[in-house]
Amino acid sequence: MTLMLLRRLGLAIPTLLGVSVVIFLLMSVLPGDPLAGLLAQDATAADRAALTHSLGLDAPLAVRYVRWLGDVLHGDFGYSPYRKRDVSELLGTAFANTVRLAVAAAALGIGTGVTLGVLAAVMRGRVIDRLVSMLAMTGISIPSYWIAILLIIIFSATLKWLPAGGIPSANSGGFLDYVQHVAMPAFASAFVSIGVTARMTRASLLETYSMDFVDLLRAKGLRSWQVLWHVAKTAASPVLTVAGLQVGFLLGGSVLVETIFSWPGLGQLIFQAIAARDFKVLQAGVLVVAVTFVLMNLLVDVLQLLIDPRLRKVA
Amino acid sequence: MVAMVQVPAAVPATPDTGAVAPRSYLAEVRTRFLHNRAGMIAVSALVLLAVAALVAPLLSPYDPLIGNATRRLLPIGSAGHPLGTDEQGRDMLTRLLYGGRLSLLTGMLPVIVSTVIGTVIGATAGYLGGPVGAVLMRTMDMLYAFPAIMLAIAISASLGPGVTNSVLAISMVFIAPISRVAEAATRRVIFLEYIEAARLSGASTACILRSQVLPNIFNPIFVYASGLIGLSIVIASGLSFLGMGARPPVPEWGFMLNSLRGAIYVQPWVAALPGFLIFVTSMSCNMMSDALRDALDIKDA
Repeated sequence: MTLMLLRRLGLAIPTLLGVSVVIFLLMSVLPGDPLAGLLAQDATAADRAALTHSLGLDAPLAVRYVRWLGDVLHGDFGYSPYRKRDVSELLGTAFANTVRLAVAAAALGIGTGVTLGVLAAVMRGRVIDRLVSMLAMTGISIPSYWIAILLIIIFSATLKWLPAGGIPSANSGGFLDYVQHVAMPAFASAFVSIGVTARMTRASLLETYSMDFVDLLRAKGLRSWQVLWHVAKTAASPVLTVAGLQVGFLLGGSVLVETIFSWPGLGQLIFQAIAARDFKVLQAGVLVVAVTFVLMNLLVDVLQLLIDPRLRKVA
Repeated sequence: MVAMVQVPAAVPATPDTGAVAPRSYLAEVRTRFLHNRAGMIAVSALVLLAVAALVAPLLSPYDPLIGNATRRLLPIGSAGHPLGTDEQGRDMLTRLLYGGRLSLLTGMLPVIVSTVIGTVIGATAGYLGGPVGAVLMRTMDMLYAFPAIMLAIAISASLGPGVTNSVLAISMVFIAPISRVAEAATRRVIFLEYIEAARLSGASTACILRSQVLPNIFNPIFVYASGLIGLSIVIASGLSFLGMGARPPVPEWGFMLNSLRGAIYVQPWVAALPGFLIFVTSMSCNMMSDALRDALDIKDA
C-alpha cells in the first residue's frame, strides 16, 4: 500500500517535468518581441543586445530551460514588465480569485450531478431518468460561454437581479454579495460538470446494480435503500475520478467564463497575458494550471487506492 | 466491436468466412442506427445545417459581409430580416448560414487530423510495446496534464491567431486521447491468433498494422472520435470568441457571438443566436455519437 502510494507519487515527477518542457517550448516559439515594453523608444541595437544578454535570452534553449526551471522551483516566476508587478504576486491574487469561483462551481456541479445521477439510476427507465439523461446531454454539449451570455441576458439585462460581472468586494459585501457575484459564473462553469458527473454516476450505478452481489443482498432481504448504499460504495470509484477531473478543470480557471464575467482569476490573467504578449505571466499561469491539474489527478488516484481495496491488489 | 474481437478465435485471417458474416453484422449495425430516434434527429439536424451552409447563397438575397448602417440591430421578426440584423446592419440569418461553413469545418477538421495521427501513434505504440511504446505513450501523457481548452488556448497563443492555427491547436489537443484509445484497442487484439498467424507468415509490421490491426481497432476509435466532434466545435468557436480563431469579416459563429456581446442590452435574443447554433451542432454531434456507440455496441471507447 505505502509502496504503491510512493510509486504513484514517483510517477507524477516525470509528468510534471514533461509539463514544464511542453510549456517552455510552447512559450519559446511564441511570436512577438519578448523585449517589448522593456526597452525605451529610442533604444539602439546595442541597448537591445545588452538587455538580451542581461536577461539571458541569448543562451541556448536548453540552458534557458534549466535556468527557468531553477527559478520556478525557487518560487521565482520573474517580473511582468506589462503589469509592473512580480509574476508570483499576480498569480497568487488570480489563483485565490479562481478558487473562490471554483469552490462554488464544484459544489454546485458535482453535488447536482451526483444527485441527478443517483435519481436517474434508481428511477431507471422512468420519466425522471429520461429527463436527467437529456439534461446531462445538454450539459456536456452546451458551450459554457453561451450559458454565460444567456445568464447575463436573463438575470442582468432583463430581470436586473444580478451584476453582469466583477468579483465580490473583499470587505463590505458579506455572504449575500458573494452569492450575487458568484452565482452566474459558477453556474456557467458548473453546467458541464453537472452533465458529466450525472452521466457517470448513472452509468456506474447501473453497472453495479447488474452485479451478482446485489442479487445476494436482495435475497438476504435488505431494503432498497440499504442495497443502494452498498451499490453506491462499489460504484463510487469512477464517479470520484470524474469529479476530481472536474475540480481540476475548475481550478484551472475558465478563460472564457472568467473573461465574460470580468472575474480576475487565472483564466482571465492568462488571456490578458496572451493579448499583451506578457509571456512571463503566460508561462507561469499555464504552468500553475497544469501543475494544479496533475496534482488533482494524483490526489484522485491516491483517494482511489484508499477507498477501493481492489485496486491495491491489481496494480 | 466486442463481438468482432471475441469471435475471431475460430476465424482465420480472411474475414469472409462462416463464423462472422461481415455483411450481416454491418446490416445489423445499420438497422440499429436507423432505428435510434435521437440519433436520426441529430443526423438530420447536422445534414440540414451543413446543406444550408453550403447553399447559403441560394437561400439568402443578402451579402454576409455588407451591412446597411441604417438598419442596425433590428429585432427578430423584422420585415426582410427574419432573424434581425447585427451591429453593422448585416442580415443575421445570412451570416448564420454562411457562418456554418467555417464553424462546421473548424469543428470537423481537427477530429479528422487527430484521428489519423493518434491512430498511427496509438496502434504503433500498442503493437510494438516495449520501450518504443512506452516513450510514445508517456509523451502523450504529458499532453494529458493540461485541461483541453487551456492546452488549445496555449497552443493557439504560440501559433498566433487564425483558422489554420486553431485547427492545428485543437488537433494537437485530441491526438493524446485518441492515441490512448487506439493503444488500448490494439493491445486487446494483438494477442489473437490471426495476428500471430500473419506475423508467422512473414508479414511486415507496417503490413500487419494496416491489414490486420487497423480494421479491428477501427470501431472503438471511430466512436470515440465521433464523440469529440461536439467538443471540437465548442472549443473552435471558443477560440474564435476569444479572437484567436477565425477573424472578421468572414462570418463564424464564435466570433459573431463575441462581437454581438455589446448588443446584449439592445437586442439580447439576436445576440444569443450564434451560440444557439453552436449548441445545436454540438448536441447533435454528441447524440449521433451516442447512437453510433449503441449501434456498434461499444462499451469501453
